Amino acid sequence: MGFFELLQESLPMLLQGLGLTLQLSAVSLAIAMVLGLLASLMGMSKIKILQVINRVYVAIIRGTPLLVQAFFIYFGVTGALGIKMSAFTAGVIALSLNAGGYLSEIFRGGIQAVDPGQTEAARSLGLTQAQTLRRVVIPQAIRICIPSVVNQWCITIKDTSIICVIGLAELTRMGQQIIARTYQSFEVWIIVGVMYFLVIYLLTVLARYVEKKVSLG
Amino acid sequence: MAKIEVRELHKYFGENEVLRGIDCDIEEGELVCVIGPSGSGKSTFLRCINCLEEPTSGSITVSGHLMTAAHANIDKLREDIGMVFQQFNLFPNLTVMSNITLAPVLTKKCTKEEALDLGRRLLERVGLSEKENAYPRSLSGGQKQRVAIARALAMKPQVMLFDEPTSALDPEMVGEVLDVMKKLAQEGMTMVVVTHEMGFAKTVADRVFFIDEGVIAEEGAPEQVFGNPKNPRTKNFLNKVL
Repeated sequence: MGFFELLQESLPMLLQGLGLTLQLSAVSLAIAMVLGLLASLMGMSKIKILQVINRVYVAIIRGTPLLVQAFFIYFGVTGALGIKMSAFTAGVIALSLNAGGYLSEIFRGGIQAVDPGQTEAARSLGLTQAQTLRRVVIPQAIRICIPSVVNQWCITIKDTSIICVIGLAELTRMGQQIIARTYQSFEVWIIVGVMYFLVIYLLTVLARYVEKKVSLG
Repeated sequence: MAKIEVRELHKYFGENEVLRGIDCDIEEGELVCVIGPSGSGKSTFLRCINCLEEPTSGSITVSGHLMTAAHANIDKLREDIGMVFQQFNLFPNLTVMSNITLAPVLTKKCTKEEALDLGRRLLERVGLSEKENAYPRSLSGGQKQRVAIARALAMKPQVMLFDEPTSALDPEMVGEVLDVMKKLAQEGMTMVVVTHEMGFAKTVADRVFFIDEGVIAEEGAPEQVFGNPKNPRTKNFLNKVL
């Protein structure tokens, strides 16, 4: 099959896979952002046990491959608890736990990079710790974090390809299936690669725009 | 009863005893300047008054409220104690006006409209009416510090603490900040000012504390402390800075 014929024929399947990749990315990242923020606050809490939970969580996420985490959740946890879980659900859990761990460190770094004088000024005006965090520290931390957060988003979007091992028909899986039929590995991986690239490229362009908008420059 | 009462105040940072027993009374409407060598504990003393530094032992009472009580609602008590910092610490993500109105609105001291109104009056008072919508980054150091003073005043504090308010300023901007502080003193605000501006201490202070090695080594009227210091350590310090 010629390249354009192959493209035309496989595009519907690949777009379907891409759709699932985007869904998986969006849901996982949304959860991961909340999880990451909570975990980072736990990590900076004065309560020892919360700190320990955060440290253990981050250590496990950083210390084990995403592939192992996905297998563990999809096969290990479901097996041990005797429950059924869709590949999509397992994928979301694995990816959001994984990205959440990294994001919690990014958020912690961002919050700690805000000048302590900001907190002192807010507290001296009578704001509570929660008000200080929400109104003064976090808005400034977000600006500091944006580049690293976008980086993590890119990584997680690409990591969705690992989830194909538990049988989710996302973009990479679709590519494999097309190759199994056509044997045109070279062309198909180029097409798949370009599709990932475009998604990430659009995201980074958007992120640069947002960064400019909120910069204090 | 004095506006600020400090009794047997000790503060350790780890093993290091920074404050070694400070006792003082500051009356309502009084302006006290705190001078002393760097590392003597004068900023720590000031920061203990509103519990930004938690005293290791001793008691601090401001307007009759025991700051160091175990059950003290410190956030509430701090509303009545304004603080101005060496590094201004304006919120860079907010406009000048939002810097001023943030705390009064969040602490429910006043409504948004009242806060805006108050903010305009305060900006006029510090001579920065035209900067209402500017961001702190566009202001000079002196302007930043005047906004910081307005921000603290917006909480209608009963006491104002100044932690080396002019030390980070270019020399030509020191005057404009000191002028605002002088006006405030004339209006009867109770003020504690940690400063290296000996001229200001001499001319404006009601009383001067000389803090050295964590204690008030000498205190008295500025004429006495500057003109006729009794403690040889005070003499030594003044010889170096004057």
